[in-house]
Amino acid sequence: MTLDLAQFHDTFFAESFEALDSMENALLKLSAGDADFELINTIFRVAHSIKGGAATFGFSEVASFTHTLETLLDQLRGGKRRVDATLVDTLLRSGDLMRAMLLATQQKQPLDKTRVAALHAEIELILATPGDSPTTTVAAPPANAAQVPQAPSPVQLSPEETRSGWRIHFIPGPKLLRHGNDPLRLLRELTTLAPCDVRVDAKWIPPLSELDPEECRLSWRIEVNGPVQESAIKAVFDWVEGECDLKLEAFGPAAETSEMMPAPKIPPPVEEVAAAVAPPAIESAPAVEASLAPKNNAASTQAAASAAAAALPSAAAGDGGSIRVSIEKIDELLNSVGELVITQSVLSQLAAPLEGHDAEALRNALGQLERHMRNLQESVMRVRMLPISFVFNRFPRLVRDLGQRLGKKIELRLTGDSTELDKTVLEKIGDPLVHLVRNAIDHGIETPEVRLAAGKAAHGVIELSAYHKGGNVIVEVSDDGGGLKRERILAKARERGLVGADEELSEERVFNLIFAPGFSTADVVSDVSGRGVGMDVVKRNINELGGHVQIHSTPGQGSMVRIRLPLTLAILDGQLARVGSEVYVVPIVSIVETIQVRAEQVNSLASRAQVFRLRDDYLPIVRLYELFGIEPQYTDLLDGLLMIVEADGKRVGLFVDELMSQQQVVIKSLETNFRPVVGLAGATMLGDGRVALILDIPGVISRFQAQETRRSTAQQAA
Amino acid sequence: MALESEANAPATGPVVAPMAGRIVLGASCTIHEAQQMRAQLLAQAELPGPYEIDGSAVQQVDTAGVQLVVAFALDCLERNIAYAWKGRSAALDDAIRVLGVGALLESPV
Repeated sequence: MTLDLAQFHDTFFAESFEALDSMENALLKLSAGDADFELINTIFRVAHSIKGGAATFGFSEVASFTHTLETLLDQLRGGKRRVDATLVDTLLRSGDLMRAMLLATQQKQPLDKTRVAALHAEIELILATPGDSPTTTVAAPPANAAQVPQAPSPVQLSPEETRSGWRIHFIPGPKLLRHGNDPLRLLRELTTLAPCDVRVDAKWIPPLSELDPEECRLSWRIEVNGPVQESAIKAVFDWVEGECDLKLEAFGPAAETSEMMPAPKIPPPVEEVAAAVAPPAIESAPAVEASLAPKNNAASTQAAASAAAAALPSAAAGDGGSIRVSIEKIDELLNSVGELVITQSVLSQLAAPLEGHDAEALRNALGQLERHMRNLQESVMRVRMLPISFVFNRFPRLVRDLGQRLGKKIELRLTGDSTELDKTVLEKIGDPLVHLVRNAIDHGIETPEVRLAAGKAAHGVIELSAYHKGGNVIVEVSDDGGGLKRERILAKARERGLVGADEELSEERVFNLIFAPGFSTADVVSDVSGRGVGMDVVKRNINELGGHVQIHSTPGQGSMVRIRLPLTLAILDGQLARVGSEVYVVPIVSIVETIQVRAEQVNSLASRAQVFRLRDDYLPIVRLYELFGIEPQYTDLLDGLLMIVEADGKRVGLFVDELMSQQQVVIKSLETNFRPVVGLAGATMLGDGRVALILDIPGVISRFQAQETRRSTAQQAA
Repeated sequence: MALESEANAPATGPVVAPMAGRIVLGASCTIHEAQQMRAQLLAQAELPGPYEIDGSAVQQVDTAGVQLVVAFALDCLERNIAYAWKGRSAALDDAIRVLGVGALLESPV
């Protein structure tokens, strides 16, 4: 029988990636000086388990690399080698490499063998140095190289032979220059790491008449001559990843030594490794079976494979009682609960007019059912909730690496990382937060020299915090840097015609300009650009989640971006409003207030549009019956109600016939069940079985604006 | 402005008509001026050589700017036309050194 081990691959990869996350967290704690045995043990267990699993599944390159890493970690665990910053850096890069190797294996892509060989050699060299001496890196001094055991020649090496460094082949992609990435800046940064020998290749430059001057046709071969960490080189090219062809090759004692070293020890055969990583309780059975009945290999391998996948330490250490459930199953469950809520609501309405003793008992029982239903709904919702630490956890590494690269000292503070959010919201908030944190590091926090000159501490602080407020989750990204440059933003906006020459704006509106499409952050506050995602995308992503974003900034003291997010995308707190025979659900989060209109508050404009005076502001009036083409009960503003709603900093008055109850509604996607409609976020079923449409307030405003534009154009034409 | 003729002396003035033999690089030779700079170098290349290149006013330069000068120099090499540098600002010299294109910008004659 042939056993298909591939059925375990998904579990192995998913758990390996989670395990690598915990390894990285432990390493970052180690780098912060929090060196304890348990942390080292955690890191060791990750490497050990991944090695075992990889060997079992036949991912020999992953197993081989991890085996070498495990040997090094074993020395740390046994106290034979001490932890220092250089070693932590090597281990962090090893984690990155393992992740890249696993990802490539999962996606059936080729491995970056040069990168693997270079780091493998680096670790081998460390292993070859005496354990009680400080750890050595690829840039080890010649004396250490000479101490490498099994080196074929103990003779004194010449200076040329002991020269170490990196050979880089850098071929810019066609769009590199257009994206604001300048090889001149990259090469200049390289020269700050060590003396460089730069050789340009101009053979691809066409005649001037055929040259597209915004396309880089030069390429370079660079030798970085000195003891430089691979991570430092990669950091230079970090932001052009994917926009260039980059090859790195170590040379000198480290690289040569790795060739002189015996081949990396190949991990033991599958069964042996699997048995080694399997928990003791099930370890003996397959092993015994394998020895007694060789034909039963499939069974033992299956047990070993399951054990290998199961042996990975979970990201959330100590959660022994958890199981892995697909999100689809939870969504099905949530959907069923939503249907039950509707049915319960229908029953309550049917029972309402009944009379007599039995009717009272029925209503009591239905009341109890409603409470249980609400508990059930909340319990299922909680299953989808995950702590925001799942997103926050990526930031210690990001801040450390980017801070180092930019020569800034930054302390990251995380608060409220146990605050829970719906998984879908959590997945979509990650990238905008990364952009905001990178912005804060790059543009917000000043260099230590500038900070000291301004009377600040050399260390900048970036704080990420999350908390619940009024049924929403608030996430704040703040820094104690230089703050936004109001005048510069305003000048740039005037230059681009976003703001009139004489127009005066409030501070909030000025800061909001940085969210305007095409208003590049790089143009505003920094010379760094070309990262593909701008602040406009950040805002759009947050708005798509039903969230809002605000900026506060004080010159010289820093900035804070506050994001308000819904707890979940599956249910919504809504205000029901009737227009004619239709019922609409207005998200409560968008409602500012509701008022009864007085005649003197309404002004009609030449274009037939009407505005409503609310204190010192004039708001457009949006008649929902006109917008959606339905028959209303009232057309006179004095008869109905005006709901003041707000989205993207714009306020309008929604004219409705009457307000009904407030309730939580289960959102059904229009896109999935019908088709997307501008101004509608979805639909829901009411207790009486009617379908109510859920308004998307930004969409309502843009639909209204489009309608007004068409009307005004038609009037002009007439 | 990327490139100026000697006739229009101000360092940031536009080229009205290329002056035979003289190429004066403007204060800014970056990707923002690259299209215009290329057009002006092409116009200059229409005129008979040898050429004299004055880069002493260059204050801002990036890879796109240097690449254009390299392309112009390679064209000269191809056409066997000599050119000489009248001057190079520190910014331009530094860019040439860092990008490793010094040897490509030596006149063939």
